[in-house]
Amino acid sequence: MTPPHISAAVRAVTARAGAAVLVVWGAATCAFLALHLIPGDPVSAIVGSNALVGAEQREEIRHHYGLDRSPLVQYGAYLKQLATGELGDSYQLQQPVSSLLADQIGPTAQLALWSSLVAVVLAATVTVLTSGRSRWPRRVSSAVELLVVSTPSFWLGIMLLTVFSFRLGWLPVSDSGDARSLVLPVITLALPIAAVLTQVMREGLLGALEQPFSLTARARGLAEHTVRSRHALRHAALPALTLTGWFTGTLLGGAVVVENVFARSGIGRITLQAVSDRDLPVVQGVVALSAVVFVLVGAVVELLYVVVDPRLRKGTGVAAA
Amino acid sequence: MHPPHPRRTPRRAALLSVLLLAAVTACSSDDGAAPAAQAKPRSGGSLTYAAQQEPDCWDPHTSAQDVTAFVQRPVFDSLVYQTPDGELEPWLAKSWKTSEGGRTYTFELRDDVTFHDGKHLDAAAVKANFDHITAKATQSQYAAGLLGPYKGTTVKGKYEVEVRFSRPYAPFLQAASTTYLGIASPASLKAGADKLCAGTDSVGSGPFKAGAYTRGQKRGYTRNAAYAWAPKDAGHTGPARLDGFTIRFLTEDATRVGALTSGQVDAAAALPANQVATVRRNARLDVVTKDVPGAVDTFYLNTKSPLFSDERVRKAFQRSVDLDALVKSVFQGTGTRAWSTLSPATPHSYDSALEKSWPYDRALAGRLLDQAGWKGRDSEGYRTKNGKRLTVVAPVYGKASVFSQAVQGDLKKAGIHLKLAASTDATAVSAQLDEGRYDVVETSWARGDGDILSSFFLSTESSEGGGHNFAKVADPQVDTWLKEAQAADSPDARAAYYAKVQKWTIDHAAVVPAYVQQASVGVNKKVHGLRLSLSAWPEFYAAWVEAGR
Repeated sequence: MTPPHISAAVRAVTARAGAAVLVVWGAATCAFLALHLIPGDPVSAIVGSNALVGAEQREEIRHHYGLDRSPLVQYGAYLKQLATGELGDSYQLQQPVSSLLADQIGPTAQLALWSSLVAVVLAATVTVLTSGRSRWPRRVSSAVELLVVSTPSFWLGIMLLTVFSFRLGWLPVSDSGDARSLVLPVITLALPIAAVLTQVMREGLLGALEQPFSLTARARGLAEHTVRSRHALRHAALPALTLTGWFTGTLLGGAVVVENVFARSGIGRITLQAVSDRDLPVVQGVVALSAVVFVLVGAVVELLYVVVDPRLRKGTGVAAA
Repeated sequence: MHPPHPRRTPRRAALLSVLLLAAVTACSSDDGAAPAAQAKPRSGGSLTYAAQQEPDCWDPHTSAQDVTAFVQRPVFDSLVYQTPDGELEPWLAKSWKTSEGGRTYTFELRDDVTFHDGKHLDAAAVKANFDHITAKATQSQYAAGLLGPYKGTTVKGKYEVEVRFSRPYAPFLQAASTTYLGIASPASLKAGADKLCAGTDSVGSGPFKAGAYTRGQKRGYTRNAAYAWAPKDAGHTGPARLDGFTIRFLTEDATRVGALTSGQVDAAAALPANQVATVRRNARLDVVTKDVPGAVDTFYLNTKSPLFSDERVRKAFQRSVDLDALVKSVFQGTGTRAWSTLSPATPHSYDSALEKSWPYDRALAGRLLDQAGWKGRDSEGYRTKNGKRLTVVAPVYGKASVFSQAVQGDLKKAGIHLKLAASTDATAVSAQLDEGRYDVVETSWARGDGDILSSFFLSTESSEGGGHNFAKVADPQVDTWLKEAQAADSPDARAAYYAKVQKWTIDHAAVVPAYVQQASVGVNKKVHGLRLSLSAWPEFYAAWVEAGR
């Protein structure tokens, strides 16, 4: 017989996977409904305005994309495609959506991962540095954070480009193949996230420093920075982790702006193009992909909770803070 | 306990920002480069061009986008070449003749042309291309339409090919000069629609071979060293001067202009009107401009709508807008006021007699509206009839342009409410057009031939049938003129018919032509010979760059 805690783990994983499938299905269905409830003939959107296309050919296009079938049949076909990882063909680019997304996910993932890293490191550093007893650094930092959070990233990107690329010429305007081209987009995307994280973490850190365990740590003779970064910061990180959903959404949405301003290739670029062209298969593909990303990020965050907070680890008991 | 220097941080921050500002202003002044002293054309080097738009589909036989025609022009040659002045001359075809009263075109091909894949151009290759364009599976959105009453292609000899139409079709030669009817290697056409659209399998016979392409970023081009079949007036002979070039897709205006002024690209397309003066002032840059041919930005008045079926109201609308002042203020010299639906740059078809023939006349417009019964005024100053406001509905796809808004403001002074119904939903807008639920449509369409008028005024070109007869003109006389123009054998005869159509549409107030668009390309002075084609897109074949600049 399997030990009880293993079967519990299997149950938990199964429940988790089931929920994940539900989330993806729900997102895909919403996207399908939203796009199909818009009145009008999708063939006109496919053809575009400056085209010379006869009535017979319009029917051919309608048939080619299966738009002559009933919505229910189209929905069934769409779900079937989704289950097999196929997402249909783009109306405008005439490419399979799955290979299109696969081609474009690399640059976006690179941008998102670097931005997350920079945002987290920046937020942690600023939090530790500004949570001392002096109030001035904190006030300056708060003002800057507010400014950064309220700045539209489109404008921030253009300003960074104007100063560091157009005027000073330190960094290239768009992807030139080397790492330098990543600097400005990453900063544009990371700054607003870092600002919010800093606000949340500092709140938590200041709270943690008032806790008895901080007093204990200080009494054990630990240096102030060790108390802050090794002990209190972990407590501060927990509320920040719960912001991950928002964080992921900001990265995905920010990618649309940043990739267009900095002329990078990626998911954001084709999303904007697909939405303005009403390229349904691509939009649906992006929605499905985003749902999968959210589910995956959620799973990773659950693991991170355990890493950050020893109290959540089974069998380790309550470890000393 | 207080920290020792509580005020240091903000002060240091302020100091830093002042320093940064100083550095920025120091760099912003132009380091005026010495003017090029009559440099001699040289071979070698490369350049980078920033385009405003990226093609969706790269197959010119499928796509209707003019940017596709532009980015594929260096790769694909055509049977016929159209010079920047609009004249047609031999290219892949050495000569041609028409027979059966203009129903049949027989082309004599060059015998020395090879495609980039080493295959030889012959009559069978041309037939394969026309077959590909008209095949159902290609889903051509434009090229097949350009072929008009096309019937078929026959191989008459190794280098002789015959293209047949069901009725005389004079616009075919100009159509054959476009990239849409460009000749690709027949082997490459078998790659399938997705490959051809992806832009990775473009094999033509042009002066440049298609290089690496990264979607969302750039496409490279390398010189075709074997090139020896340039048309007479291409500005150069033999292989291209540039080793290669790169087109980068910088869709944000600010980014594209910044990249140009900071020297990160050598040329940039579509300079915004408010940036042209800035770029001109830059000592290292030039601005090349050209009027776009074809149908200018025009308001097409729905002659069948309840409001505009009254010709007096249409005339009043036509005369109510002070176009001279509006075009000047909005485009600041990068566009000119139009008098005809056709651009003056359209070869052999523009009717210059229309100039100044229907000036802005608000008094006349007021009288016409009074006669038509729009006598009342509501609280906002708009004219009314039986308590109903004089509202002109204009569907707008996307966002209403600054110019449309300026027209809206101007019409308000005449008591006319121009309702710009903006929607980002292409389907909803096209449904509105198909069902005729509008009073006016504002649009433009570039083409280097007067036959563009057929797309807008033939009674058979209705919106639901995929046409562009937004004014819903259904006049047997206009139809005859347009058909006669298509059948006429001399450019002058065609011009005479097109002049009649242009005059008819103005006289019956079916249209209000607004402005002639101008293409503005910013070019670094180290680049020479980058000229604009008839359709106002850069031609890279004869271009060259100065060494060491």
